[in-house]
Amino acid sequence: MSVRQLINDPDDFVAEALQGLQQAHPDLLRANPDPAYVVRADDDAASPKVALVSGGGSGHEPLHTGFVGRGMLDAAVPGAVFASPTAFQIRAAIGAADRGRGVLLVVKNYTGDVLNFSIAAELAREDGIEVETVLVDDDLATSSADEGGPGRRGTAAVVAVEKICGAAAERGASLSDLALLGKRVVDSARTMALALQACTHPGQSQPSFELPADEVEFGVGIHGEHGVGRRPFGPARDLVAELTRPITAELGLGDGDRVIAIVNGLGSTHALELSVAHRELTAFLGGLGVGVARSLVGPYVTALDMRGFSVTLLRAEDDFVDLWDAPVRTPALTW
Amino acid sequence: MQSLTAEDARSWIDRFTADIDDRFADLTDLDRRAGDGDYGTNLRSALRRASANLEAGPTDSPEAVFTAVANGFLNTGGTSGPLFGMWFREFAKAFAAATTAEAVATGAANAAAVVQRLGKAEVGHKTMVDAMVPAAEALSAAVGEGTDLPGALRSAATAAHEGAESTEQLLARRGRASYVGEHARGVVDPGALTVAWFFDAAVSVTAPA
Repeated sequence: MSVRQLINDPDDFVAEALQGLQQAHPDLLRANPDPAYVVRADDDAASPKVALVSGGGSGHEPLHTGFVGRGMLDAAVPGAVFASPTAFQIRAAIGAADRGRGVLLVVKNYTGDVLNFSIAAELAREDGIEVETVLVDDDLATSSADEGGPGRRGTAAVVAVEKICGAAAERGASLSDLALLGKRVVDSARTMALALQACTHPGQSQPSFELPADEVEFGVGIHGEHGVGRRPFGPARDLVAELTRPITAELGLGDGDRVIAIVNGLGSTHALELSVAHRELTAFLGGLGVGVARSLVGPYVTALDMRGFSVTLLRAEDDFVDLWDAPVRTPALTW
Repeated sequence: MQSLTAEDARSWIDRFTADIDDRFADLTDLDRRAGDGDYGTNLRSALRRASANLEAGPTDSPEAVFTAVANGFLNTGGTSGPLFGMWFREFAKAFAAATTAEAVATGAANAAAVVQRLGKAEVGHKTMVDAMVPAAEALSAAVGEGTDLPGALRSAATAAHEGAESTEQLLARRGRASYVGEHARGVVDPGALTVAWFFDAAVSVTAPA
């Protein structure tokens, strides 16, 4: 089965998308073509505060470019599809975002991202810009005791880190306080994902893997790679429970606890299905006596056009909820 | 020859670039057997960016030449590209002060250290570090014995080749080859081989046979 995509030339895909994003939100952001990054352009974009910069491979939209604006990111750096941005690209974005109070980098745990962001941070520090990094590694599927391995991947918890740290930065928090806050959010959040159907790379005619009709791919990441195993396909209630059980166990959630819940579509999952998933999540958590303090339901951290979803739970500490509720105005998240 | 001129540095890089252009398919083949098969292509595109930077100049000092190369690599994605970028950058920094054999040795030592720190790799992990570290050690030993620049570079090339060959029987602990386990045994690490060829290029430029 061939796959149709809304594309001119795969080589121009990301650059053309950045132009379109800027045209849709000229009041919020500006897209720099070369090196490619997106930077805040709203009325407050020059006032002093710690700047937040994130980025990674493209194909996860609206992450991260859709979260540039008031109350979240000051700049986002998109690489090619599923490939890290270069160290120079990131360094340029740090320079564009910096307002003299330092820059917090929000980095998902992937070898290429970690390396290129580390190098960009060193280059920026040499030029006198203070830089701290929050490493996001929330994906339970890649949890391993393997010493010296790459560790857990970073997935949808990155939205919570960007929202909460973004709000704190807007309120004037220092760089070191933001780095500690970001680490607390990461330590309090875990994610699991499953795919009903693989994604298709731009310009390719075949999905990245085949799934039998009676199975789902369990424990997928956000790059179209295989997950950690196959499980039987079944009703939403069973799939959601199976996905959520390891998270509540890992976070030690029980009676009286509260969470911020993110039900995230991986690209091609319908809003109606995600609402059902949220219903089942609330029911599953309710069975454990865990309350849902705040929810985010929709496609936020996608894997191109993968059909599937992830569940992220974040322990709802009081300051997390307070910062979560703070105003935000970006292309993909506004309240 | 006591020190490296801008012309020497340029010839060194040009020779290295030409060698990689001739042999990138071999590197890609090694990476296909012990990684994901894009190493040679990525290296060549980094060197093309480096060449474009060199054409755009300035190249009036070894520092400027190596800075142009470092910037070409830092503008390349992936993991080996930026690591090589930081490696070349330390040579550029050392050449800002001097261009003697001592400066080459200092650059190589700092360059190996920065790659080890950023890549979290030690000797024996089957990576580029397995050639970088012995080459740096050979350079500083040669300088300690008062060897001239061509002789010191020859020692570095020999040590880098021995280091690269030593990766053949290793099980990878870092880099892409670490994902394929036993499959990578018997395959020389392409990053380490690249480092050996880099010092070969230096020898052919400074001490033509």
